[in-house]
Amino acid sequence: MFGNVARSRLLPMSLPFRYFGAAAAFQLGAWALLLFFPTELVNFEIGLGPVFAALHLLTLGVLAMSAIGATLQLLPVATRQPVSALWAVRLQWWLFVPGTALFAGAGAAYRPDLLGAGAMAVVLSLLLYGILLFRNLLGARGMRVVVAHGWAALACLVALAATGLALVGRYEHGWAIDHQALRAAHLVLATFGFMGLLAIGLSGFLLPMLAVAPPPPQRVAYAVLGLALAGIVMGSLGWTLPGALAGLGAALLHVGAMERSLRARLRPRLEPSFLLVRVSWACLIACLALAALGFPGGTLLFALLLVPGWLLTFLLGVLARIVPFLASVHASSSDRGTPIIAALTPARLLAAHRALHLAALALLVAAALTGQAVLAAAGAACGLASATLFSAFFVFVLCKVRHGIQPPHQPAAA
Amino acid sequence: MEFNRHISRRLHEEHVATLALWGRLESALAAGRHDAALLKSAAASLERELDRHFRFEEAELFPRLAEAGEGDIGELLREEHETIRAAGMRFIKLVSDEITNPEVKRLGLELAERLVNHVQKEEMALLPALDDFIDEETDHELDSAYAAT
Repeated sequence: MFGNVARSRLLPMSLPFRYFGAAAAFQLGAWALLLFFPTELVNFEIGLGPVFAALHLLTLGVLAMSAIGATLQLLPVATRQPVSALWAVRLQWWLFVPGTALFAGAGAAYRPDLLGAGAMAVVLSLLLYGILLFRNLLGARGMRVVVAHGWAALACLVALAATGLALVGRYEHGWAIDHQALRAAHLVLATFGFMGLLAIGLSGFLLPMLAVAPPPPQRVAYAVLGLALAGIVMGSLGWTLPGALAGLGAALLHVGAMERSLRARLRPRLEPSFLLVRVSWACLIACLALAALGFPGGTLLFALLLVPGWLLTFLLGVLARIVPFLASVHASSSDRGTPIIAALTPARLLAAHRALHLAALALLVAAALTGQAVLAAAGAACGLASATLFSAFFVFVLCKVRHGIQPPHQPAAA
Repeated sequence: MEFNRHISRRLHEEHVATLALWGRLESALAAGRHDAALLKSAAASLERELDRHFRFEEAELFPRLAEAGEGDIGELLREEHETIRAAGMRFIKLVSDEITNPEVKRLGLELAERLVNHVQKEEMALLPALDDFIDEETDHELDSAYAAT
């Protein structure tokens, strides 16, 4: 079925980077929507509209997009299996990007008649990705704990796509389904399930690698996976309290193990992007604690801590580190050598990005607690500015690789 | 990370020692401390690494990586060896002849980052791959040959 196997586990640069580039663009769109519709955010009620569109631009366009790009490059390293079909990766991207744009656009414009077409393109593209992931995991060797997280994430992806299609069927055709229960299951499967399990699984080998630290013990990683799966299943079935408690146990165990790993690192210096990773862990624990306590502060606060708080903040922290890392691999040549990562890391620009992103989170949390649209607008403005800086960082790295790099010992000037 | 081959474990242990030493040096240099003993220790360690560890990987492991269809990763690691070797030789000479030269700090920081990134790639891509394409007999031969160098 799938010919054109990648020559080795190192993909051409254009493949993972097209996903990261699309994610940077979709992030701009998500924050821009929130900036123009802050009142809709603080008064959010379930249904189509700009907040629905912003949420899906973040979840599909930024989080899933980056997760797919990152796993296509990182999983082959972990599983020691090359990607089985490069054409399928390209096709996946070409379905996923317009599908996501159409789906979010239809949601923002209250056009349920167009929602189905976007959803079908997204589901088809996720099916392609699911097949690639399935084949990679099937032949996996090594890093069994990462592979186990991959299988669990794949199972969640299948259930996520099914619940998503059912929800679209309700919007477009008025199917008689328990909308509230299905929507809650869809949220749990997307955030804690597919993206959360990939994030936790890859953290076990990626973060220690970046920090030059020993990985967490395997038995702890399996315990985290078991608890997380129990929480996801219970949460999807509507058993919120036991699901949240199991998820909270998994989160505390995971963060504790990762912190112990980071403390044992061999390189004293820890990259500044780890600040975002740590904030994301705090948001994960906080949102699960809120769920266990019955959502004091409202579901908007929970959703803000979950999506931009945990998942987006974690992703941005990791991308700030792996984009220059992967670029340095591809920029290497026999005549000009390998550039150091510092030459591809605009430190001041990324520092400003971190500050703005954290300010955006704080203001959005304040908006959720007070119901003040002006705070939501200020938060979205900070978010848009941070997303602009992140896009500038991405373009900076591409330009450095394309047009040559300063002498390797010189740090980036931006 | 756990490795199944003796040669992988041996190289991993050397990586850990390199990272610990160069991590200390990076911290000292970044803090503006001129620790002559630490600089000399890092230079001596690097000299051994360039002569023994790098040469062994280039002669014995990268060709095997290419045979296993991972030639581009082997080529990348070889290019990094060349860059590290060039900077490393200059660092070793400066530490030996002009340890107070300001260039020592710049080269030390550059080498610390290069060595960390290089070890990260070898730990992610080279050592796990050895588990796949080296059998027990070859592992024993390689491990003995390396121990004898």
